[in-house]
Order: sequence, then structure tokens, then C-alpha cells
Amino acid sequence: MIELLSGFSSRTGIYDFMNSPWGWPTLESIHFLGLCMLIGSVGVFDLRMLGVGQGIAYKDLHKLVKFGVVGYLLNVTTGTMFLTTSPDQYIYNPAFQTKMLFMLLAGLNMLWFYATTSAQVKATKATASLLNRAKVIAAVSLLCWSVIIICGRLITYFRPLYHWCFWC
Amino acid sequence: MQILSRIEETALSIWFRESGAAFFSTLTLHSLAMAIVVGINFAIAFRLMGWVPQFALSPYSRFYQIHWIGVIVIFLSGAGLLLAYPAKALTNPIFYLKLIALTIGLIIAAWIQHRLDRNIITEGEHQKFKLIAMASVILWIITITAGRFLAYTHSVLLASRFF
Repeated sequence: MIELLSGFSSRTGIYDFMNSPWGWPTLESIHFLGLCMLIGSVGVFDLRMLGVGQGIAYKDLHKLVKFGVVGYLLNVTTGTMFLTTSPDQYIYNPAFQTKMLFMLLAGLNMLWFYATTSAQVKATKATASLLNRAKVIAAVSLLCWSVIIICGRLITYFRPLYHWCFWC
Repeated sequence: MQILSRIEETALSIWFRESGAAFFSTLTLHSLAMAIVVGINFAIAFRLMGWVPQFALSPYSRFYQIHWIGVIVIFLSGAGLLLAYPAKALTNPIFYLKLIALTIGLIIAAWIQHRLDRNIITEGEHQKFKLIAMASVILWIITITAGRFLAYTHSVLLASRFF
């Protein structure tokens, strides 16, 4: 696995770019900007579903989500570049493993939203309250993204395994 | 440099620097609050620039309550991080770039909120608002980038090492 990721990084020139003087901080900046786009679209829509900003139509605000998709793609691209440059720093890192788990949960939560609730939410009037299910989905989404940000910090800052990693 | 060294030797600075939990939670809170503040500013800027279809702007001002709570957290956590490593930030020009971009970005946010609260964004002003929203996006990009580069560009970590 490590060899596969490292080989991909070397062959594509990612490794050289990331190890150039400003490669890593530039990619970190783009990664965080992508995250801000996600929070500014998906996070804002979640907050709206939880009752903030009454008067904005759900259908209208949902149009911001396309920026969340752009932010997500930026994050996946830059995240892959981090991972393939130093795979051993990530694969065995419990903060990264937790981050991936919550990304999976956020993805499943999104699928649940679009499969069961999205149409009803978009059809709800701007002044009306939503189903409890929609509020649960919004709260889970906000929780997942918050944990993802916290784990992102844990990966790069330090790994206090003895504090929290019960599987290490 | 001597003043910075004295700050580094205070009990609070040592606690922030050497207690893993204190520094880590402050750093995490700073990141979370930055993501919320920049995210909300991005969303309003995208709407003002016409990148998303028109929707009522005035109710959007309610998101600013969360935004300003985020700003308070940014300044409190930022003060904690500064207290932990004062020389690292204060001897780095990029720190001042971040501070200036952040301040102007917040002034623009307050100005937009003021207009939204009073519902005084008129059709004739749309062009002006597009430019202001664009400036806001650029300033937030500078703030984030400067913040990330701060960790890589410092020339001094601790002033006390010089004495």
C-alpha cells in the first residue's frame, strides 16, 4: 500500500512538488480554503435546516451546495497529494483513520438526506419548520465536519495517542 | 526582544506552550472558528457576486450572529497562540499581513451586515457590491494563506533563546 502510494507520487511529480520550498504550505492553504467553501455552503445549509436564518428559502440556499462540491473536490485532490507524498505519516495515523471514518459518515449522511429528505426540504416554505429527520441529518453533518476539522489538526500537529486512541 | 522573552517566561505562556492539551485545543478552536467565519463570508460573497441564483439577502444577516461569535473565538484563541510563541509571530511580517487582511475582511463583513440589516442593498448598487464581495474573497484567501505560511516562515521561535 505504502509502495503503491509512494510510487504514484513519484511518477506523477507530486512528490517533487510537495517537497519544493512552498509546496506543502501552498497545498495546506488550498485544503483549508476548500474546507471553508464546504462550511460556507453545506454548513450554512445545515444551520438553515436547524432553524438559523428563517426567511431564506431552503431551495434557494441549497444552490450554494455546488460550491461545497467544488470545495470537496479541492480537498480530495490536495488530500490525495498529502497522502501519497508521506503515506506512512497518514495510513498508520489514528487521527487520519478517524478523519476518514467521519468523512464516510458524512457521505452516508448526505446519501440518506438525498434519498429520503431532500425533496421535502426543498418544497418546504421559507417560514415553515422542517421534519425532525432533516434536523437530525443537519446536526450529524455539522458534527461530522467539526470532527473532520479537529482530526485534520491532530494529523499535522501531534498525535497524543495515549489521550484518546483506544485501538492503538 | 527582551519584552517578548519576558512574556515567554510568564506562567500562562509556558502553560499554553508546554501543555499539549492547551495548545492543541486552542489551535483546533482557531481552525474551527476560521472555517466558520470564512465559510459564512464566502457564502454571502458568492451570493453578492451573482454566482448563485438570487435569494433574499436580508434574512441572511442572522448568520452573522454565528459569524461574530466565531470572530471572538478567533481573537481569543489567536491571543492564546500569540502568548505561547510571541516572538515567532511578532518577528514575522506574514503575521502582520494576516492581521491586516483579517481586519479589513471583518470591516467589510460589518459593513455588508449593516446594509443587510437595514435592507439597503439596491439594484443600482449591485456592481459596487460585486467588487466589494470579490475584495472580501481575496482578503479571506490572503488571511488563510498567511495563517498557513506562518508555521513555515518564522525565523525566531523563542526570544528567550537569545538571552
